[in-house]
Amino acid sequence: MIARLRPFLSMMLSGLLVLGACSKNDGSAASNTSSNNTTASTAPATTGSTNNSGSLYNVPGQQSLSVSDVQTIIAQAVAEAKAQGKPAVIAVVDRVGNVLAVYSMAGAPPTATIRNAPNPSDNTDLEGLTIPAAGAAIAKAITGAYLSSGGNAFSTRTASEIVQQNFPPEPSSAGLESGPLFGVQFSQLPCSDLSSRFIPAGGAAGMIGPKRSPLGLAADPGGFPLYKNSVLVGGVGVMADGDYGFDPNIQDVDYDIDENIAWAATSGYGAPDSITADKVFIDGTQLVFTNASNSTIKSNPSAAPAFSTSASVGTLTPVIGYFAGTIIPGVVYGTEASGIRPATSAEFDNVDAFVLSNGSGTNRYQATGGSDGADVGSPLTSAEVSAVLQAAFKVMSDTRAAIRQPLNSRAQVTTSVVDTHGKILGMVRAPDAPIFGIDVSLQKARTAAFYSNKNAAADLSSDPSADVRNFLPAARTFLNDTTAFTGATAFSSRSIGNLSQPFFPSGVEGNPNGPFSRPIAKWSPFSTGLQSAIVLTNLGQHLAYVTGASATDTPARCTFIQDAAPGQNRLQNGEQIFSGGVPIYRGNVLVGAVGTSGDGIDQDDMVSFLGLYNGGQTVNTIGEAPTAIRSDQIVVQISAGSVRLRYVNCPVAPLLDTSTQDVCSGK
Amino acid sequence: MRTFSLRAIFLTTALFAVAPAFAQDQSKSDAAKSDTPADSGAPAKSDNAGKADADAKPIVIDASKPAKVAEKDQASRSGNSADAKPIIIDASKPVKVAEQDQASKSGKSADDKKTDADAKPLIIDASKPVRVAQKDQVPATQDSTDGRSIPGPLRNYEKPVLQNNQGAVQAPPPEAFPDEWIPVPDRWRIVDALGIGGQWWDPYNQNVIKGDRPILGTDDWFMDLTGVSDSVAEFRSFPTPVSVQTTQRPGSLDVFGDADSALYTQTFIAGVDLYQGSTAFKPPDIEFRFAAAANINYAMVNERRILNVDPAAPTHRLDGIVALQEAFMDYHIRNVDDRYDFDSIRVGIQPFTSDFRGFLFQDNQLGVRLFGDRENNRYQYNLGFFARLEKDTNSGLNDITQMIRKDYLAVANFYAQDFPVPGFTSEAVAIYNWNREGGDIHLDENGFPARPALLGDNRGRDYDVVYLGYSGDGHFGDVNLTVTGYGELGQDRDNIFTNVPADISGYFFAAEPSMDFDWIRVRLSGLYASGDDNPYDNHEGGFDAIFENPQFAGADTSYWIRQSIPFAGGGRDIFLNSRNGVLNDLRSSKEEGQSNFNNPGTILLGAGADFDVLPELRVSSSLNHLWFADTTIVEALRQQGNISQDLGWDASMALTWRPFLTQNIVLRASGAVLSPGAGFNDLFTTNTHDGEYYSVLLNAIATF
Repeated sequence: MIARLRPFLSMMLSGLLVLGACSKNDGSAASNTSSNNTTASTAPATTGSTNNSGSLYNVPGQQSLSVSDVQTIIAQAVAEAKAQGKPAVIAVVDRVGNVLAVYSMAGAPPTATIRNAPNPSDNTDLEGLTIPAAGAAIAKAITGAYLSSGGNAFSTRTASEIVQQNFPPEPSSAGLESGPLFGVQFSQLPCSDLSSRFIPAGGAAGMIGPKRSPLGLAADPGGFPLYKNSVLVGGVGVMADGDYGFDPNIQDVDYDIDENIAWAATSGYGAPDSITADKVFIDGTQLVFTNASNSTIKSNPSAAPAFSTSASVGTLTPVIGYFAGTIIPGVVYGTEASGIRPATSAEFDNVDAFVLSNGSGTNRYQATGGSDGADVGSPLTSAEVSAVLQAAFKVMSDTRAAIRQPLNSRAQVTTSVVDTHGKILGMVRAPDAPIFGIDVSLQKARTAAFYSNKNAAADLSSDPSADVRNFLPAARTFLNDTTAFTGATAFSSRSIGNLSQPFFPSGVEGNPNGPFSRPIAKWSPFSTGLQSAIVLTNLGQHLAYVTGASATDTPARCTFIQDAAPGQNRLQNGEQIFSGGVPIYRGNVLVGAVGTSGDGIDQDDMVSFLGLYNGGQTVNTIGEAPTAIRSDQIVVQISAGSVRLRYVNCPVAPLLDTSTQDVCSGK
Repeated sequence: MRTFSLRAIFLTTALFAVAPAFAQDQSKSDAAKSDTPADSGAPAKSDNAGKADADAKPIVIDASKPAKVAEKDQASRSGNSADAKPIIIDASKPVKVAEQDQASKSGKSADDKKTDADAKPLIIDASKPVRVAQKDQVPATQDSTDGRSIPGPLRNYEKPVLQNNQGAVQAPPPEAFPDEWIPVPDRWRIVDALGIGGQWWDPYNQNVIKGDRPILGTDDWFMDLTGVSDSVAEFRSFPTPVSVQTTQRPGSLDVFGDADSALYTQTFIAGVDLYQGSTAFKPPDIEFRFAAAANINYAMVNERRILNVDPAAPTHRLDGIVALQEAFMDYHIRNVDDRYDFDSIRVGIQPFTSDFRGFLFQDNQLGVRLFGDRENNRYQYNLGFFARLEKDTNSGLNDITQMIRKDYLAVANFYAQDFPVPGFTSEAVAIYNWNREGGDIHLDENGFPARPALLGDNRGRDYDVVYLGYSGDGHFGDVNLTVTGYGELGQDRDNIFTNVPADISGYFFAAEPSMDFDWIRVRLSGLYASGDDNPYDNHEGGFDAIFENPQFAGADTSYWIRQSIPFAGGGRDIFLNSRNGVLNDLRSSKEEGQSNFNNPGTILLGAGADFDVLPELRVSSSLNHLWFADTTIVEALRQQGNISQDLGWDASMALTWRPFLTQNIVLRASGAVLSPGAGFNDLFTTNTHDGEYYSVLLNAIATF
């Protein structure tokens, strides 16, 4: 299937883009609001609405990118690209992923090439594909916006650091485990049933987020978050060098053209120094924010020529499915229009809760009962779903954030609950939780529910792609269990991650891959294994649509495994292979799963795990998987010894109000 | 006597070796690394009891002119405690004696107390022997000291005791002795004639393999063979993280797992010393010394990826090495006066210590050292250059099969005895440490990254640091005192927090006063090592040593000094402190890692007492309290605010038993408990033992 699809994809994708027809300057050139001219260095702003009584969180300030802001950002990028002599495609998005502008400089490469596998003849999945440069720029802009928050500013270079086979990617870490967000690049997929899509006609739902990304999240340097008055308002992404890749070694300092252009673009809209990724330490390792700086760029952003759409400079570029060709202002995050807003007390009994809204005031994922009664007998009730979400939210509120500044901030995440069919039964998030965690929390919940389900093997076997189907027998052989994935084991998303590593156990160089991963010679962030294979057809359909090669977009429903119910498959926004999802049991019966994303992975694990535990204690009818069937009972024999799968790993010093450690043991 | 000195030195060596090793063993978690190493280190183990003594003294001696001194007291050769002391005393450098034994004391070692007492009377005697005997004596004058100045300020000594004892028998006058001397070809025939002979296995009597007689066919080449067996069993607990990739047991749902571990290590050291000289009658003209250590170590833990980076590896590990701990040639350049004050040069793997207590550097390393003394050993100097050998991870011993590290020391120090007062020795020292390992990628033998350390930006870095220090050791009246102060200045080419060069400046101070009350010595300990207060500026303010091995505050009896705490959650394969180290320096490894000046610093205040319960048995006790000097760095790395400085109470006790009153057999048992403070609990926990941590050491050393 892959073999057949890949040439087809390349052919379709390399045709494309599409310069300029409807470009036009729709704003006064280069005017800047006065507040934009300097990089903020103050503490992250959490101004905005006043706290309600009992509130533990501040709500992000009411800021957004105006058309002139967008023009300024583009103009600064253009000036740097000219100074570099590398015409670029520049995308600007708002915090919830609306594409505010795509600008193609004259002479910019219309396409980019996704980086090859270590051995190009081994290319699989996305490796080596030619893609629209605009799609790459949009994915990078979305990544900057989605991974960041008022407490942390992450770039695509940061993303690169946390998705590879060793963390961090560098020669001296060979042998150590993979990046904490291993696999996150395959989220925000264009086929996601959760992510909203560009609506050319606009309307009430026109700007709701989170929007999908054409390529998922990006690891190619050149995507940054944008801030106004220390409030996260969006992201900028640049594609000029034609390489859509990643940084395999963080110990050196790269000179990346895309990144320098994007860095210049952020001038006046940069992240507060106090929250950039280099203030965040994962197990003592400092994350990387950028290898570009004011001293590496070749232009003076404050002296950048005014925004121009003269043909000799560049044009705004419509992108099918993303951008109509006219700059639009970003939405204010936290408003109904943005699709993410405070919950009403009727919707969720916590003053700090935020929910996803449809633009017309309706909570998209109000807690509801399960739809899978035919399969499980007693599906989750809305009361049970509420209890888990309430408890998870409470746990989150007590949790020390792992990726936010200042220190001792409260964690901010999104938590989702699904039934065994993958139907979304409820979702809640903190006011300033990173956007990426919305889709990812759902992927984690679905992944836990899917692999713990008695139908997992049958579902995998139903995929039209032999490549996908072949992962099942490989896994059964690996686990020495011919009946694996028929419901006997409760798999957390962490344990599926264990099986999805190009070295098993994670990071141990020289070892063979886990059964759900590509072997290391074929592995890259663009081809992780079953995770990428199972959505490859969707991605191909979408890219064909974006390039105009196909009139039909991929459905809002990832994967082609068999339906659990009409119109519903169990992995509708793809699967996720890092920590934060655990299955829900009623006694010994799987009834759903809970997933969390948005802070450290151990924090994600704890919010889901303790949320389920505490919520289960409240309703007394549901709870954790029985210990005897959890994935940490599975031991795999390899040549070096035995390797036990993990279930969850709750964090060090997890809670803010107590020095209690080891809070998950025995539960 | 050479024997003795050799022995002492070997022990020292062993100790050194051991110490490092131990350090390692701590698990590196994340951790992990290794725990074993330590064990292995055991060999030398000096860590054991007694060790301190041995260590401290030999070292001092070396600096001044060890071998020589030693030779003189042949008598003492047997390994008894007597050994150590006589040697020193004989050396005719009284002051030094005092120092040494202080050092040892702190170090815990055994004999000290006794030594002290000895030393003082001797000192007086030495300087004015005549006075005691003669009735009509006049006060000492410049003449009576042969041109040597009288140390220190003039004091009003007690009046000499004059005999008035009717009927007492006077000592025979010189004329009563024969005035005809009968020459014999060599002095060894005399003992033969007296029937004093020995067996090859008997170190207590005339023995050619112990350097008492020339080796066959020569009349001025001597050989001294030494053998040491050092056995350690250690049981301890420390916060032990589970592996992120896999766990030993199901149900491990949190970061911290089972804290218990054990290690066993056996080291044999064989040494040979070959020199040309005249035993006790003058310093050797040339000397060759080799000491090889064979170590085997076995470690057991309860979690994965503590002993090996591969989480599939088992939770126990057997390792071993044959290492070269000493290999040098010592050439006696010249004597500068008729007291055998000298200049000498020593080339090869040799022990060196930067100060009385080993706070900055104490190791057996490859180097060239010009040293000597003046004024009848009143002043001593060292000028040295060292290039550090790589260490074996699990034993801490020198691994000469690996490339020499790009880490260098230039050393200059100067000791002045009886300065500022008699009985007190002062040392001024300057050490320049330059490290060019920025391009290194060095994994330890268990696969854990040692250079660059996995901390901050993880980038390799070069650095230059100059340490300027003062140390003093001795006594003021009845109060013994050791003090050490260092300032460090330099530049780090890559600050791991800011990724740009940063200036280094930090400081260190430690003092340990003590006082003897008959068979009890009581001491107080205080130490401050500066911490960095802002990771994001271009200044690194944490003090870090080059290769510490502190004989202080209970030394390896103490939990904090003996055990190394994996900095779980704040650094992978990073340790809060090192094995056989007191500084909270967040290094990947004391032995294989680079210095880290972005550290939280250390404060220690403690009290202790040593009890010479029996001549054969000493009981030592210590109670220390520890703090971080500044928690900013720890908070940044742990992504955790408001961490308390309080690390907790460290209570320990050791029994040292020398069944034959010698150093030939020394048995030691020690135990320590760490009762964690708020800061420790903010960072770590254990799932066993009610939150307390223990360290139990059993050690046996046999020396030939």
